[in-house]
Amino acid sequence: MLNFLDINERALNGPIMSEKEFDMKVFVPRLKSVTDDYGIRYDKDNPVPSDDKASDNLFEAAVDFMSHVGVFCKDTKRIIQFKRDEILEVLKEAPGRCLAGEGKEAGVFGMRRPDEQKHPWFHVGSGIVASSEEMTTNLIEGYASIAESNSISISALDSIRGILVMAGSPVEFYAAIQGIKIGLEAIKRAGRPGLPIMNLISTSASALTAIAASAPQFGLRPTDGWLCGTIAEMKIDFAVMTKVAYLLSSGANVGVETAPILGGYCGGPAGTAVVSTAYILMGLLVYNGNYQLHFPVHFRYGCSSTRDVLWAVSASCQAASRNIPMPVIWLGYMASGPNTKMYFYEAAAHMLSAVTSGAPSVQTPHPARAVKKDGITPMEAKFGVEMGKAACRLNRQKANELVLQLLEKYESRIRTAPTGSLYQECYDINTGKPKESYVRLYNEVKEELAGMGIPFE
Amino acid sequence: MEKEEILKKLTTAVIDGDNNLARESAQNALTAEIDPLEAIDQGLSKGMEAVGRQFESGECYLPELIMTADTFNAAMEILKPAIEANKQQVRKEGIVLIATVKGDLHEIGKNIVATVMETNGFEVVDIGIDQHSLDIIEAAEKNKADIIALSSLMTTTMPYQKEVIEVLDGMKLRDKYIVLVGGGPVSQKWADEINANGYGETAIDAVALAKNLLNNRKQTVAMD
Repeated sequence: MLNFLDINERALNGPIMSEKEFDMKVFVPRLKSVTDDYGIRYDKDNPVPSDDKASDNLFEAAVDFMSHVGVFCKDTKRIIQFKRDEILEVLKEAPGRCLAGEGKEAGVFGMRRPDEQKHPWFHVGSGIVASSEEMTTNLIEGYASIAESNSISISALDSIRGILVMAGSPVEFYAAIQGIKIGLEAIKRAGRPGLPIMNLISTSASALTAIAASAPQFGLRPTDGWLCGTIAEMKIDFAVMTKVAYLLSSGANVGVETAPILGGYCGGPAGTAVVSTAYILMGLLVYNGNYQLHFPVHFRYGCSSTRDVLWAVSASCQAASRNIPMPVIWLGYMASGPNTKMYFYEAAAHMLSAVTSGAPSVQTPHPARAVKKDGITPMEAKFGVEMGKAACRLNRQKANELVLQLLEKYESRIRTAPTGSLYQECYDINTGKPKESYVRLYNEVKEELAGMGIPFE
Repeated sequence: MEKEEILKKLTTAVIDGDNNLARESAQNALTAEIDPLEAIDQGLSKGMEAVGRQFESGECYLPELIMTADTFNAAMEILKPAIEANKQQVRKEGIVLIATVKGDLHEIGKNIVATVMETNGFEVVDIGIDQHSLDIIEAAEKNKADIIALSSLMTTTMPYQKEVIEVLDGMKLRDKYIVLVGGGPVSQKWADEINANGYGETAIDAVALAKNLLNNRKQTVAMD
């Protein structure tokens, strides 16, 4: 592995240029030439491709891209560069697993291959979806009560005592420690105190808050996971590098958070697949990450369930799962919200695509583009797990057939997708149980999906 | 070279993102004594419109849009001195001051909106990410902006959109600007709550909204 000080040294001494030059004279032209040279082509008729040779070719394209483009440091305006040999060496040394959780919840989050029947690591929960302080305990307890969940993602609080949480303000710090307190209490209430929380610090934007709230007196454990973001596309700054330095020095799990944007600098689906794969290389090379949370999204619709994003997810997931020993949590943003049939169609398509493509882990697909406060419930998490288990019984070809059928059901409605209900509208807030109408809808959709050939247990 | 051919080449240059062809054709337009404003309207702008349509239908993406805007500007470097010498003025929809608010480092959405605005005839002043509310207002004043467009990608930075509007109110500048808000967690409901003039779900929506609001404002001023 490259030492993190080596990365710092490169950030201080690499080639200097403006950000626009990096975007338009390095990133965009190289992406175009790599995509052309390696013949990376989007196949709209096969959103879940199943050609191993094409997957390995995509991996090679990503290595080529990374070795010519590198990663831009916004503070120094310099490029952190990597030679091809260095990239391959890092891949050889990477452990391909992450140890997370405590006591009986301790587990090894490892790799999977495309078409492998082994269950993925089920990462359950809401992460970036903002929640009211009052709903959060119920929500997290609900996630932790799903027996198959291997790790959880706690909610982002958007206010504390009615004060809006503002990035960089001291309130952000109070929200972070309050979120941790609620999260730890909720997993205890579910009888699973050792369950790893792997989206720390969810209410924080700044490195300062993340580091401050990670002090041991607030209860976090090194076997939880901290997310360190990237700046799209292929950029970092000193703030995140400082956070990584802190986590590496304290021996905590470093989670790399990446979200390539289809339609942005990545261009179309082919370019997005290359960048998506390159981001997973970046997670190992730059961050020395223990795991990665990765969620490609569409620039216009803000979701991952469009046909082109599903293809980019499947193609890059296969390329990474076959060649890059990095445990990646594949997360999708859905256009529609809780308590709608469309949500389940989209989530089924995403799960089929990711799980059969070898995703080491999948997270609860986020409803309503993850932007609706309280717009998530444990029911979507339950579906994610049941759907993930069912997908393990299928191969990529069968998944492709099913995804095509699912796309027919929702593709034309993505722009106008229903944002669904709030937690408090479809759950009883006193008992933390779903209301009968939601259970009925859930069972109806499951029956319909089973009728299509999805083999639920 | 025929006038029609020169104008067509200007259009092609913009569509292909070919800066050299754009400069050469702009020079040819001046040599052939084509009115530079006509060269813009009937040549360059047609190319911008074509790329705009391709973007809207998903045939091209942000890199092509940026290249289009760059090519337009390359041709404008040649045409601008002639426009100034003729004491003419380039028709523009309005001036947009765009920024991502304080605490927020997301920029791709903002860049897409800025570029789509530019390719639709707006003059865009992009002051970047993580911008303090007062700096945004100061830049709007300095650049004589008509519109302030505020991007926010996090629930924890949305309150800074509200702050800009409140500070504008406090400075008695609110009526001077059309304030548009956008970004992942932002919604029409939020825009209404904070008294923004509008919310654009996509870059294309933002352009349509900006044009409508500016037209309404011009009509109101004319009636006054």
